[in-house]
Amino acid sequence: MGGLKRKSSSSAKSVAKSKKKKKGPHLPNSILKVIADQKRPLNSDEEEEEDEIDSDDEHGGDLYEYEEGVPEEESRKNNRYDRHDNYDYELPDDFEDENVESEDDDFDGGNSENDDDDDDDRHTRMLQSLTGMPSAAFQGESKSKPVLFTEAYPEGEFNPTRDVLEGKNVLTEEDFLAPLEGKPGYHKTSKQIARMRKDTKHVVHAPLPKPQRERLERKAVIGLVDGEFSKWVHLVKKNREAPTVYFNQEVDLGYSTVGAIASEFQPRTEFEKKMASLLNDSEVSEAHRDDGARLLELNEVSMEDHIKKRDHIAKIRNLLFRHEAKSKRIKKIKSKTYHRLKNKDLKKSSLGALMDPEMAKEEAMRQEAKRVEERLTLKHRNTGKWAKRMVRLGLNAKYDATRAAIAEQLQMNANLSRKMHSMGDGSSSDESDDEEGLNDGSDEDTPSRLIAKAKEKTLKTMEDDEVPNAGLMSLPFMARAMKKKNEEANEEAKRALEEYEEWENSGGENSKKPVSVSGRRVFGATAKVEAPKESKKDSDNFYDNSDSDNDMAGVEDNDMEDVRDNASPARNTGTITETEFDDAAGNQASKTTFDVAMFASGSWKKMTSCKNTESKKESKKTRAPISQSQDKKGSRDEESEDSESEAEEMVDGVLASASKETFEIPSQAELINRAFAGDDVLDEFEKDKEEVLNQEVPKPEKPVLLPGWGDWSNVQRKRGISKRMVMEHEAEEKERKQKLKTRKDARLKHVIISEKVDKRAEKLHTTTLPFPHTSKEAFEHSMRMPIGPEFNPSTVVSELNRPEVVKKTGVIIKPVKFEEVNPNDEVDDEHPRNHQKQRSKKKTGKRQGKVKSK
Amino acid sequence: MRIKTISRSVDEFTRERSQDLQRVFHNFDPSLRPMEKAVEYQRALTAAKLEKIFARPFVGAMDGHRDGISCMAKNPNYLKGIFSASMDGDIRLWDIATRRTVCQFPGHQGAVRGLTVSTDGNVLVSCGIDSTVRLWNVPRPSLEDSDLSSEKSAEPSAVYVCKNALLAVDHQFEGELFATSGAQIDIWNHNRSQPVHSFKPGNDSVISVRFNPGEPDILAVSSNDRRMIIYDIRMSSAAREIRMQTKTNSIAWNPMEPMNFTGANEDGNCYSFDGRKNEEAKCVHKDHVSAVMDIDFSPTGREFVTGSYDRSVRIFPYNGGHSREIYHTKRMQRVFCVKYSSDATYVISGSDDTNLRLWKAKASEQLGVILPREQKKHEYNEAVKNRYKHLPEIKRIVRHRHLPKPIYKAIAESRAVNNAKKRKDDRRKASSAPGTIVTKPLRTRRIINEREVE
Repeated sequence: MGGLKRKSSSSAKSVAKSKKKKKGPHLPNSILKVIADQKRPLNSDEEEEEDEIDSDDEHGGDLYEYEEGVPEEESRKNNRYDRHDNYDYELPDDFEDENVESEDDDFDGGNSENDDDDDDDRHTRMLQSLTGMPSAAFQGESKSKPVLFTEAYPEGEFNPTRDVLEGKNVLTEEDFLAPLEGKPGYHKTSKQIARMRKDTKHVVHAPLPKPQRERLERKAVIGLVDGEFSKWVHLVKKNREAPTVYFNQEVDLGYSTVGAIASEFQPRTEFEKKMASLLNDSEVSEAHRDDGARLLELNEVSMEDHIKKRDHIAKIRNLLFRHEAKSKRIKKIKSKTYHRLKNKDLKKSSLGALMDPEMAKEEAMRQEAKRVEERLTLKHRNTGKWAKRMVRLGLNAKYDATRAAIAEQLQMNANLSRKMHSMGDGSSSDESDDEEGLNDGSDEDTPSRLIAKAKEKTLKTMEDDEVPNAGLMSLPFMARAMKKKNEEANEEAKRALEEYEEWENSGGENSKKPVSVSGRRVFGATAKVEAPKESKKDSDNFYDNSDSDNDMAGVEDNDMEDVRDNASPARNTGTITETEFDDAAGNQASKTTFDVAMFASGSWKKMTSCKNTESKKESKKTRAPISQSQDKKGSRDEESEDSESEAEEMVDGVLASASKETFEIPSQAELINRAFAGDDVLDEFEKDKEEVLNQEVPKPEKPVLLPGWGDWSNVQRKRGISKRMVMEHEAEEKERKQKLKTRKDARLKHVIISEKVDKRAEKLHTTTLPFPHTSKEAFEHSMRMPIGPEFNPSTVVSELNRPEVVKKTGVIIKPVKFEEVNPNDEVDDEHPRNHQKQRSKKKTGKRQGKVKSK
Repeated sequence: MRIKTISRSVDEFTRERSQDLQRVFHNFDPSLRPMEKAVEYQRALTAAKLEKIFARPFVGAMDGHRDGISCMAKNPNYLKGIFSASMDGDIRLWDIATRRTVCQFPGHQGAVRGLTVSTDGNVLVSCGIDSTVRLWNVPRPSLEDSDLSSEKSAEPSAVYVCKNALLAVDHQFEGELFATSGAQIDIWNHNRSQPVHSFKPGNDSVISVRFNPGEPDILAVSSNDRRMIIYDIRMSSAAREIRMQTKTNSIAWNPMEPMNFTGANEDGNCYSFDGRKNEEAKCVHKDHVSAVMDIDFSPTGREFVTGSYDRSVRIFPYNGGHSREIYHTKRMQRVFCVKYSSDATYVISGSDDTNLRLWKAKASEQLGVILPREQKKHEYNEAVKNRYKHLPEIKRIVRHRHLPKPIYKAIAESRAVNNAKKRKDDRRKASSAPGTIVTKPLRTRRIINEREVE
C-alpha cells in the first residue's frame, strides 16, 4: 500500500507539475511535450511501473486529471482581445518528437542478454578477487536462481521482502557456505566463520537512532560539565563566607623569618667576610663531616696567638693581685670614721645597693620615700621660687649652667614621679605600702601583740561613733539602721574584749590553736575582734552579704557582678530597660542604688537593674529590696561592713567558719524590716505610679476662667464657668479613665508599665527584622557593640570596620584560580599581608590574584 | 595618706616628630558611654547624607565615533586601554586616563558586532556583519602615545572570511582560542583561517557568546530562539540549555564563581543561573524598565553592571534583587554595551549617541591618593552606614535616587500592572479550590524548559 501511495503521490505531483506549468505563461502543448520527454529518460525504469499504477489509480478513481481550459485571450473568441505577437518560440505544427525514451528502451531491450552476461562475469571476478577462490565456485549459483520480481518496489532497507518481515527464509552464513563444500579453501573459510561466531567481543552493534544517541551524548556532557563546576563549590563557599575578600595584594615584601633572612645573608664588612671564610672553610666542614679527627689538626694554635693569650692572662692576674692587695691594705686601716665614710659612699652609689640585698631593700625604701615626697611636694617641677625666678629673668637661656640645673631638676622630677615597676606587683603605691605594712606586721608581731593591737583598734572604733552627715548615710532611716547596727557591733566588741581579757588571764594558753604567721590568715583569725568598723564610703556594700559567700563561691569580690534590684521600675522613662552596671561604676558613693545581692540556686543571677540619677530628689525614692534566699551569715555580714582595702583582707573563710556558732541568724524579712524601719515603701510606690500615670495620661485641666474675664458683673459671676467647658472637662475625664483602664498595668498593683513611645528612640529601631538575620536576639546582638574608634581600642577598630571587599584602584584583579579547599577547615585567621604564608602558598602552585579569606 | 597619681612615662608620650599625633587614652568602659548607639546612628546618618552629597559618578565621555557604539572590549592586561567599535565599522582604542583615541583599526565594512582581546593583551579580535573575523596587533602602550594626540591606524594581521554574518566574539581566558557566533558557533585558533571546531545549536542565530574565565573550556551562548546554552568546547554537543520566554541579549560569567552566570534578558530583568541547574534561576535582578542590552561582571565577582535600552546603566549586587546604583545622563541614549574596569573601580558604557562614558563604580568614592587616616575614616563611615542601613531614615536616604522622567513613569506603570495582576491572581486563588492554582515563583516563572525524556 505504501508503494501505492507513493505512486499516487508522484502521479499527483506530475499532475500538479503540469498544472503549475499551465498556470504560468501558457506554453503551447508541443513545447510542454518536449519538456516532458526530456525529463523522461532520467527515470525511465520507474516510468513503466508508474504508468501501470497510474492506470490502477485511474481504475480506483482516487485521482483524476483536471484539464485546464485555454485562456480566453488565446481562444480568440469573437476577436475580443487584441491580437498580439507571440514572441515565444513556437514549434511548427508538423514537428514530431524524437522518442528518445523509446529508443533507449529499445537499446536496453536489445542488449539485455549481453549486459547480463557482462554483469555476471564482472560479479564473479569480483567475488574471486574478494574471497580468493576459483571462479568455478560461483558459476552455478549465479545461474541457478531465476529472477522473480513481484514486488512493486525494488527491495531495500525501507522496503523489505515479505519473507524477511515474517522471519523466514533469512540468509545465513551456511547458505553461502553450502555450495562451496568440497571446494579448496572451504575448510578454512568455515573455520574462520566459526571463530567469528564465538567471538562476541568484537561484535559491532547497529548504531542507535540519532535522537537517542544525542540524548545519551548530552547526558554524558552534562555530567562532565557539572563535575567540573562542582569542584569549585568549596572554594566559592569559602570566599562567600569570608568576612573580607582581598584583591589588593600585588606587593611582595620578601622574607619575613629570621631563617629566611639568614639563608640569604651576604657578608659585606671585613669582619663578616672573615667569619664567613672561616665558617664556610671547606676544610673545616669536611673535617666535621668526617669523623672529626682532623678537627684537632685544624685546631692548632700558632705561636703568636699562644703568646698573646698568655700575656692577656698574665695581665688579668696582675690586676687581680693588685686589687687584692689594695683591699687588704684598706682593711688594715683601723679608723672607724674612714670606714663609715667609705660605707656611706658605697651605699650612695647604686653599685653598692646592687651588691647587698639588705642594702638594696633599704635603698628601695628610701627611693620610695623620696618618690612619695616628690609627688607630694612637687618640689622639682620648676615651681620653686628659684626656678621661677630663673625662668622669668631668662637666665636659663643665658647661662648653660642654670639651664643644666633646671634640666636636672626636671629630670629628677621625672625620675621620681615615674611609676616604679620594680616595687612589687601592686598597681598603686598605696596598695604596696599597705601590703608592706601587713608584711611587716606579720613578720614582727607575735600573735599576742597582734591581738593587743586589735584590742586597741576595737576600743578606738567603739569610741568614735560619729554619724556621717552627708550622702546616703545621712538619711534618717539609714542613720537609724546604722545606730542600731553600731550598738550591736559595740556589744559584740565588748564580748570580744571580755574574751580577750579571759585569754590574757589564762596566759595565752588558749592561743595554742594554730595561728599561721603569714598575712591574711592572722588577721582573719583575729578580725572578729575588730570587726565593727564603718566607713562612709562603703554604704553600697552595707547590706552586701556576699563577702564570705564570695569566698565560698570562689569569686573575687571585685569581679563579682553585683545584682541590683529595682523594685520601682517606674524611674525615669519607666520603661523596663536592662542596663548593666559594672561593679566599679555602681560603687560610687553618690549613686543611690542599693544592691541586693541575690543568691539564688548557688549562682548569681542577673536581675533587672535600674538607672540612677544623681539628683537628690531621686535619691529619696526607695526600693524594696527583694531577696530570694538569705545566706546564713546575715548578722555576721551586717557588722562586717568593711572599710575599703583592709576589710577585703580581713574577711576570710576562716573567719566565717569561726563566727558561725557564735551568732544566731536573723531572717531575711527581719533584716529588711530592720534596715528599712519606718519606711513606707508601698505608699511611695503608689505615689510614683500616680506620677507616671499623670505624665503619660495627663489629667485634663480644670476649667477656669482667665482672671478678669467673665467676672465683670454679678450675673456673670453667678453663672460661673460655662456649661460647655464643664462638659468638655467631664468628657476628658471620662476619656482619661478609659485610657487608664486599658493600660497594661491597670490591674497590676505593684507594677508600672510605661506605654510612652519615645520618638527619639523610635529612630533607632526597625519595624521588621532585617533580611539576613533570623532572630531578633541575633540582630540585637550584632548591633550591640559599637564599632567606632572612640569605643574600641585602636587595634580592633580596623578589623571592625573592614569592608567586605578590599581592593586597590589600579590593581588588575584576575579571575579566580582553582585551589583545593578542605571544606572541613575552619576559616583560617591568616592575614593576607602575612608574607610568609603567602610565599609558602605560592610555592604550592597558587598563582597571584587568588582570593584569600580572613 | 593616700595619694592618687597618674603616672605616665615620658617615652610613651614623646612624639618622634612634631607632625605625629598626640596619644589619647580612652576608657572603653561601656557604662561611661551610654549614648554610643545614638552617636553611631547619627554618624551613619551623616555618612549617608555625605555619600549623597559626594555622589558624582560621571567621570567623562569619550567621543569620536560616528555611529552608535555596538561593542566594547577591555584589555585584560592593561588597565588604561579600552576598545570600542561602532555600527559603521570603526574600531578605536581609547586611553581612559586622557579619554582620547590612541589608535584606530579601519577595515570592517558594515557594523562591527563583536570585539575581544586575548588575555595577554596583544591580539584584538573583531567580527562584524561583513562576515569577516579580523585579528589586529594591539599597539604597545608607551608614554608618547598618551602625550601626543596623533591617532595611529593599524592594519589587520589576519582576516578570516566566513559564510554568515557574525554577531559576537569572545576570547578564551589564557588560551589560544576564541569563539565567534552567528548562524553557528565557531571556535577559532589565532593562526588558522578555518574554525577548528563549530557547533550548530539551532536554526536561529546566536547573539552572544562568553567563555568562562575560571573554566577556560566552557562557554555559554544565547541565541535568538530564546535559549541559553552551555558548551564544553572539548565535547561535540551542548551540555545544558535553558529556554526562556524572552531572549537573552547577553551573558556574563561570574569571574569568581565559575559555575554561576547571569543573563541580560529582553524583558528587562537579569537572571542569575547556576550552570548545573536549568530549572530555576538563582536570583532575578529587576529594575530596568526596558530590555537589558549588555552585562558585565565586576572582577571581584560581587557586582555586575548592566546597560539597558531604557537609557540607563545600573549596578547590581551579584545576589541582590535590586540595583544598588543607576547612572544616567540627559544625553545618553540607548546603552548597547557596558564594561566593568579590570580593577573594579570604573564602569564604561557605550551608547547609541556615539559616546563612551566613564563612570565611577562607587558614585561617591574619593579618587586619587588617599591617606591612611582618610582611608580609615571612609571605612568607618561605610561600616557605620552599613550597620544602620536597616533603620528607616538611613534606608530612605541611601535608597533615594533621582530618575529620569520616562523611567520613573515606566516603573510606576509596571508596578501598577504588577499589582493589578497580583490582585487578580489572589482573588482567583481565593475563589478556587485550594491547591488548584499555583503561583510559580519569579525565579522559574519565565523559564520554559522542555523536560528531558529519559
